[in-house]
Amino acid sequence: MKLRFDEGTEAFRAEFLQWLELNRPSVEEMADDPARSSGHSPGWTRAWTRRMFDSGWLVPGWPPHLGGRNAGPLETLVYLEELNRAEVPRTTNPQGLGIVAPSLVDYGTEEQVEQYAMGLLRGELTACLGMSEPDAGSDLASLKTRAVIDGDRFVINGQKVWTSGAGYADFCFLFCRTDPDAPKHRGISIVLLPLNTEGVTVRPLREIIHPDYPDLSEVFLDDVVVPVSNLVGELNDGWKMAGGSLAHERSMVWLMSVMGVESAMAELLETAPGMMASLSPREQVIAADDIVGFYVETQCARALGYRGFARFVKGGNAPEQALMKMYASELRRELGRVTAQWHGGGALAVSEGRRSSLGLIEDYFATFGSTISAGSSEIQRNIIAERILNLPRG
Amino acid sequence: MDLELNDDQIDLRDNVRAVLARECPASVVRGVYESTGDASALRKQMVELGWPALGIPEEYGGLGMGFVEVGILAEELGRVSAPTPLLATVSQFVPLLVEVLRSAPTSKTGELLSEVATGARTGSLALAEKGRWSPDSVNTTASGEGDSVTVTGTKTDVLAGAEVDSFAVVARPTGPAHPADADRSDGLGVYLVERADAEVTASKVIDPALGLADVSFDRAPAKPLLTGDADGEIARAVEQAVVAMALHTVGACRRIFEVTLEYAKVREQYDRKIGSFQALKHRFADMYLAVEKANAICYFAALAVAEDDPRRREACHVAKVASGDCQSLLAEEGLQLHGGIGYTWENDLHFLLKRAKVADVLCGSASWHRARLADLLGLTVEVAP
Ligand SMILES: Cc1cc2nc3c(=O)[nH]c(=O)nc-3n(C[C@H](O)[C@H](O)[C@H](O)COP(=O)(O)OP(=O)(O)OC[C@H]3O[C@@H](n4cnc5c(N)ncnc54)[C@H](O)[C@@H]3O)c2cc1C
Repeated sequence: MKLRFDEGTEAFRAEFLQWLELNRPSVEEMADDPARSSGHSPGWTRAWTRRMFDSGWLVPGWPPHLGGRNAGPLETLVYLEELNRAEVPRTTNPQGLGIVAPSLVDYGTEEQVEQYAMGLLRGELTACLGMSEPDAGSDLASLKTRAVIDGDRFVINGQKVWTSGAGYADFCFLFCRTDPDAPKHRGISIVLLPLNTEGVTVRPLREIIHPDYPDLSEVFLDDVVVPVSNLVGELNDGWKMAGGSLAHERSMVWLMSVMGVESAMAELLETAPGMMASLSPREQVIAADDIVGFYVETQCARALGYRGFARFVKGGNAPEQALMKMYASELRRELGRVTAQWHGGGALAVSEGRRSSLGLIEDYFATFGSTISAGSSEIQRNIIAERILNLPRG
Repeated sequence: MDLELNDDQIDLRDNVRAVLARECPASVVRGVYESTGDASALRKQMVELGWPALGIPEEYGGLGMGFVEVGILAEELGRVSAPTPLLATVSQFVPLLVEVLRSAPTSKTGELLSEVATGARTGSLALAEKGRWSPDSVNTTASGEGDSVTVTGTKTDVLAGAEVDSFAVVARPTGPAHPADADRSDGLGVYLVERADAEVTASKVIDPALGLADVSFDRAPAKPLLTGDADGEIARAVEQAVVAMALHTVGACRRIFEVTLEYAKVREQYDRKIGSFQALKHRFADMYLAVEKANAICYFAALAVAEDDPRRREACHVAKVASGDCQSLLAEEGLQLHGGIGYTWENDLHFLLKRAKVADVLCGSASWHRARLADLLGLTVEVAP
């Protein structure tokens, strides 16, 4: 056990900080042209991604030709810490950089890597993930979108829903059924679908907040034709890759969620004196108890997350990772709910743009994005109980 | 930053756990609860293994291990709800002596530590008064000088108070400060009082295996260990007591979790294992999270103490709150999910439930530490005069 990072890791941090200082996008350019969706990359993000790629800071753990510098996991950890501290987004297309690109690097053909993965890494393209369907949410393996092989092409029919960023993304990492007779986990394949292909209709889905900035979409697929060369990995092997691609960077994903909670907590503490000043002494006592409770939980989340990461670095299995998705997302939700309760009438406002700030009821609703998507809290509890604690299924 | 135990620490934990599983089965705890046995064999074994010497510096015959290792021992003792003065000795008595020694190196304190290391002496911290573990609440006084110092006052809920040989008593000096510490301002002092010189009343409490006692001193002869202003040393020792008690709580909770989980895998109702009901599965997931997160933050606090990190004070409060919250959930769910069998005296579960509850109260409950954290975070309410 050690509280500090070793010198090498700290030197890495210092090197990154120096680079970040000189190369980061400015607060003004980020504010002037915010991303309109998780599939949208305004000019500054494209340039920023490219700068990171060229300097080996985009995916530090990867080799230089993929935008990295062969960094170790601890180095990647401090890199993410510093980006978070500087309030600079690593990308505005997290599913593209975090899931689609690594999956293509692992399973894609040379052409797919060159055309699609490198496009994402150089900031030229954005991607979305087409998994969920109206009747296949938590039970993703029951998806019905059908891809039929016809010579050297796939003909695809079906519908996706809740597809983040589809309204702006260039292509979709599409999960389709390619063998309807196989058991449901064994007949799924992944196909790369450029969203400007004929037969693709993307219809924005207005969300619970910020309805003018929909990020989610429904994607309708009517006799959509893509070449067979767009198949990722083996035919009917999609489920295994789904495990792979979602597991990709999972350790980094929960780290980001811990950092998200920490940022919110820091904001809460920063604004606490002002908030307290508007309360009566008795109210202050109750508010202080709430704040202390969240402070303790935030410290716990950090300790648990970092311990899990230490196990992961040592190559052990880290059950903490399974807990973190549920814990961090629910903690952030509660923090949003209670903070809003202390903001009086100020909590009711609707903000301009896509961002909500802590203390608004709007922010509280926004937090459900994390407790529902990518395996809901209930599904996480099932996984913990059945796969970690080995409780009997049924 | 590495918040995972290292290989040596994991070995220590596994060894301690194996010994305690063998030497401290529930039957030993039951013997103490029912006054049909004592835990003397267990104590002898612990001394033979050198456990009292764990955190004592090597120059005083100790093993010179750090506070994380002390924390491991505290956690494992909680796991078996051990009846032993060892927790008091290693997590309260020794830390205070070591802090005292660091500020005022005297042969007296060094000798005391050497005696603890060999197992010849056990001790506890006599701090709390009227059930409050705060130095602010200390009304016990010390008076006299040199060889004629005496201590007067009443300490409550002294850990292993009915069993230890001596007490490190926190008291407020009256009269002139000790000459050797003439430059120190008036504050709390630390005094050694032998149990034989105190009036010890074993407390009739829900967990009799902790040996809790109220200890009264009526002009009891005392050896001053640090007088003048020992507030800083006392605070640092109390931090260690707090974290060790937090880990002790979590140790009991982890065991509650394990036995409840085992039970859910064998107990059948409606022709299926009760652990297959999703309503229970989700509760197990939440219990698991509660134990893991409390464990992680408690070791963070232990590490902050071991490395003397500036975050140590705050981390101690956070750890005690987290361990208290953990036991709230685990004691409740552990009992509920056992059904009727858990409600019986004959089942061993209640030793753990009671240990978890009592350990939450000792050294300040979660609620008390929440209030301290509110102060530290600057959330204190200004009350108009
Ligand atoms: C903000 C956001 C972004 C998203 N982005 C994407 C995306 O980019 N691409 C994509 O493919 N999908 C995306 N999704 C979809 C998301 O993955 C699904 O919403 C999620 O998997 C849940 O599926 P569902 O909505 O159909 O709910 P359902 O599966 O119908 O679940 C409804 C309720 O039942 C519970 N439930 C279901 N099964 C069980 C069970 N076995 N045990 C206990 N409880 C159960 C759920 O937890 C939930 O509370 C996104 C969703 C959101 C909210």
